[in-house]
Amino acid sequence: MQQATSTSPAVRLRGITKRFPGVTANDGVDFEAAEGEVHALLGENGAGKTTLSNILTGLYRPDEGEIELYGKPVQFNSPRDALDAGVSMVHQHFRLVRAFTVAENVVLGDHRGEARRFRLRPRAIERRVAELGKEYGLRVAPRAKIWQLSLGEQQRVEILKALYRDSRVLILDEPTAVLTPQEAERLFRTLRAMVEEGRTIIFISHKLHEVKAVADRVTVLRAGRSIGTVSASESTPQSLAALMVGRELGTGATAKSEPRDEAVLEVQDLWTHGDRGEDAVKGVAFTVRAGEILAVAGVAGNGQRELAETITGMRPFARGGMSLNGRELRGGDPRRAIRAGIAHVPEDRLGTGVAPNLTVASNVVLKSYRSREMSRGPLLRGRSIRRRAEELIHRYEVRPPIATTPARQLSGGNLQKVVLAREFSGDPKVLVAASPTRGLDVAAIEAVHGHLRDAAARGMAILLISEDLEEILTLADRVAVIYEGAIVGEVDPKGATVNEIGLLMAGGGRS
Amino acid sequence: MNNSIVVVVAASGVLYGTPLLFAALGELLAERSGVLNLGVEGMMLVGAVMGFWVVQRFHAATPAVLGAAILVAALAGSVMALIHAFLVVTLRANQIVSGLALTIFAGAAGLSSYLGNDLNLADKPARHAFNPLNLFGLEKLPVIGPIVFGQPLLVYVSWACVLLVGLYLARTRPGLNVRAVGESPAAADAMGINVARYRYAHTIAGGAFAGVGGACFSLSITPQWVDGLTSGAGWIAIALVIFAFWRPELCLVGAYFFGAFAALPYTLQARGVTIAPELFQSLPYVATIVVLVLVSTGWTKRRLGAPASLGVPYAREEL
Amino acid sequence: MIRFERRLQQPWWLAVAVPVGSILVALAFAAIVLAATGHDPLHAYRRIFDSAFLAKGALTQTIMSATPLCFTGLAAAVAFRMQLFNIGAEGQLYFGAIAAAASGLYFHSLPKPLVIVAMIAAGCAGGAAWALIPAILKAFFRTNEIITSLMLNYVAALVLNYLIFDSLSYWRDTSTPETKVFPQGKTLADSATWPTTTLVHSGPGLVVPLGFGIAILVALLAWFLYSRTRFGFEAQVLGDSQQAARYAGIRTRRKILAVMCLSGAIAGLGGASQDGDFRHLLDPRGLQQAGYGYAGIVVAALARYNPFGVVLIAFLLGGLQNAGYTLQGADFPSGLVGVIQGLILFCALGGELLGRYRIRIARRPAPAVEPSA
Repeated sequence: MQQATSTSPAVRLRGITKRFPGVTANDGVDFEAAEGEVHALLGENGAGKTTLSNILTGLYRPDEGEIELYGKPVQFNSPRDALDAGVSMVHQHFRLVRAFTVAENVVLGDHRGEARRFRLRPRAIERRVAELGKEYGLRVAPRAKIWQLSLGEQQRVEILKALYRDSRVLILDEPTAVLTPQEAERLFRTLRAMVEEGRTIIFISHKLHEVKAVADRVTVLRAGRSIGTVSASESTPQSLAALMVGRELGTGATAKSEPRDEAVLEVQDLWTHGDRGEDAVKGVAFTVRAGEILAVAGVAGNGQRELAETITGMRPFARGGMSLNGRELRGGDPRRAIRAGIAHVPEDRLGTGVAPNLTVASNVVLKSYRSREMSRGPLLRGRSIRRRAEELIHRYEVRPPIATTPARQLSGGNLQKVVLAREFSGDPKVLVAASPTRGLDVAAIEAVHGHLRDAAARGMAILLISEDLEEILTLADRVAVIYEGAIVGEVDPKGATVNEIGLLMAGGGRS
Repeated sequence: MNNSIVVVVAASGVLYGTPLLFAALGELLAERSGVLNLGVEGMMLVGAVMGFWVVQRFHAATPAVLGAAILVAALAGSVMALIHAFLVVTLRANQIVSGLALTIFAGAAGLSSYLGNDLNLADKPARHAFNPLNLFGLEKLPVIGPIVFGQPLLVYVSWACVLLVGLYLARTRPGLNVRAVGESPAAADAMGINVARYRYAHTIAGGAFAGVGGACFSLSITPQWVDGLTSGAGWIAIALVIFAFWRPELCLVGAYFFGAFAALPYTLQARGVTIAPELFQSLPYVATIVVLVLVSTGWTKRRLGAPASLGVPYAREEL
Repeated sequence: MIRFERRLQQPWWLAVAVPVGSILVALAFAAIVLAATGHDPLHAYRRIFDSAFLAKGALTQTIMSATPLCFTGLAAAVAFRMQLFNIGAEGQLYFGAIAAAASGLYFHSLPKPLVIVAMIAAGCAGGAAWALIPAILKAFFRTNEIITSLMLNYVAALVLNYLIFDSLSYWRDTSTPETKVFPQGKTLADSATWPTTTLVHSGPGLVVPLGFGIAILVALLAWFLYSRTRFGFEAQVLGDSQQAARYAGIRTRRKILAVMCLSGAIAGLGGASQDGDFRHLLDPRGLQQAGYGYAGIVVAALARYNPFGVVLIAFLLGGLQNAGYTLQGADFPSGLVGVIQGLILFCALGGELLGRYRIRIARRPAPAVEPSA
């Protein structure tokens, strides 16, 4: 690491351009971060934040542009070059080897000094990891295997990796997505401590309030271009949002529908096993009424996925029961659930929600190909399928409006339109929507929210499972908070604050 | 006592298990880096024929010729593996199809046969061969004598290899890196490990081991060359890696186990007991299927399972 | 340095160019091998072409060699399309042959059409039954079908050997003293011999066995099944994403069982055709040496799992195999056929890349993980 001089910024990117087939992810981006600051990189999903940080960590090579560290031009041909130059990154999807211990993950790929030796000395590494953890308040057992850790702990391991390598520049990509508000607070404290030592933190986010809370300065990216850099203390969430989206945001029409009294989906004392055979859902009970949006809030990995899968029949349940309009539902059979009128917007859009290499038309009839309209005995009615697809593509404004496009070529927002179009076309009574707007841009989020509200207004019972508190507070009629597989409290979104819900999400509501 | 059936079967189990052990160690290295290579049989056959060619072609002191033969066999095996590595690592081809293609290309009706025929090697006894040793003069010891001390040199070499591969994977930095590449290439890549280089290196090393395994047949067990000499040992080696939960020390146990199955019917026949040899010959395959079912269900899955990214090509810039 | 960029659209001509180009490039590589070992490549190729397609009776022989490849190629294609890597066509073909031979021997006194129908049914059943083992393991225990179906090939081969060489089974000929020393299968009666059709009398002539006709019929049915029916739609979804299939309410277990059994039945049909069309007895050595099951995977991969493509490629590779048999001898390099087949497949795998990616030559060195070749 060369000596830092106070005149040149820690990181300077000039005219960075990166093209992928069909998209220009970064288009002449300029960016500067000073020594000892938390610099936020703000932008919508798809604005090019992740691509830019992958360039800064040597994963991608820019087509054009220059990178300077502490005033010196550098060229990264691989992540190793970036690491050696002192740049580390905590990816949104952690880059950890699940079968390895914490210490093994930390030392992986290290090749400096002592680490150049051929032999591996696990004890010394474990000691060092424990020391670092103590110093920065990032406690994890060095000998624990990654798969045994919670997502929050895994994130600590990622930060420890950077500290172990003495990185001067640390990039964090959407780090709070897996944290409760309180855990996020603790992370911010760690980041501040690191900044005070003169390190530079680049904090990628699309959440305005947390950018304001943690950053010194903010650079806004929009559609692959850098729009400008502003001081965090001098800007408001509104001004940041305007920069990010390029227009003033509507206040979000919150004309909520009137829930009716009839209970549609009733869940009693539901217990479900997770993938490893542990209890993932523990005695959950709730009722969703017609025309109502019930939100389940919680930090990722607290049984939400298992809950959604159980209700939609994709996962059998161990104990308890569910009923729809008073009729008992059997678990573990998606086809029965579909026939009973349960629609499902799954968390994993590309891969579960649609078959990625099949056409839009095939994906539109993914659940209805069995119906009398779409098939005659064992034979498919090709023409009816095409007509249905074209009609829905038109009605939901899917782009490109071509029924034969493979689904994987659609953007996230258009993909979600295909999913919604299909799910609503079956005229369901209940919709289970799991993180329906994750990874979408603002326009697409608004469209999805609009569809959900309309559906509720038509009398559909909607169970919204989300980690996004803002989304929950704008959409939900009632909020149930899930923690470690159990509902730990129910709040009224009108009176509740983010902090209250956050405390419940961290298990604080438990006596 | 050393003539008792148990000792004879155990001793020949070690002998017949050795080519399996070499080939399985090689496949283990490749699979630990995430590359499934179904071309083991082909690589073994090419190793066998090239090793045999050296002992027929060159005239020098036996140890020198045999040493050269082993080197050439290893080289031949690794050249075959290089084709596979290029296809699956660089060109990201389907690993199953590529491995099968390698077996067809190099196997009993392919290159190995072509070379054997063209170099005029068929049906002639080897000029030099690895003969059973009498290590420390202890071959006559009861029971362990013939099993442990009366084997050809390659057996002892294989023991050293098991030790080296085991230590390499568990105790060294490159070993840690290769395990990371097999488990999660994305994580390894982000930490500056060159995924492609590791996969190439270990696939090629795997080919070298397979080549030596083939040479065990043509230079030690049946010192001659005929088409399809290894008669399916390569497939058993692939099975063995699974059977051994991807661990070198268990490969050793499994190899001798499977070797004994292969040897048992002939030993019995020599003593006038006739049991259909197919019964024993099929045991390795059936055992592997049973183990595979156990591995894919229940508690063993997480702790003993295959490298998580086995058979999955890795590419960074996909959008 | 080379870089790959994912193509958004696959140009249509690649479907033709890849297999044709693969064969040409493979022949060029093989020519290098031949020349390096002192053979004249052009001479060797002329002889191969001659004995595959032009010589008297060559076409008939080629069709004979192509027939089993059609069956195993289709068996692989229907399964691989669904991402079920059934590489057990080899063993399934053996079991089809065993079952068909048994029914041919047992029903020999019935009228010919009935015997043939019985053999076809038995062949399908035998192959499907053997495929059911990896299918059940896959469907209920999620056991990798690649390894299990592969292992079962060897078990099937051992069963085959046992029936003829190491037991006095129903299939073994024990009528004369010689057959005790040199074991072989019982010869099937005339009623179990499948008929042939002579299509071309003049010139080199062309006689087509019943099996080839059945293979073309199976190809048609497979195409129809996958493009026009609910079954095919479900298989497509499942082949693309298991999760999406489960989500859509497709009974994944049943589908896995059905497709594996279908694949096994087609391979078993190939075994029945071996008994009825060509060998007229259960012939362990002949079946094992031919390695139809593995060659079938080559055929399917080259045809990109298209049923009609399978028939076409099987015909070409059948010609190559036929030439290999005919030319076996001192002056023709043995093993050349396998070498060429392997090379074709390597080239096809490489060529497949052209379909998925556009290859760019970049100025600067590519990133570390990109090829350094």
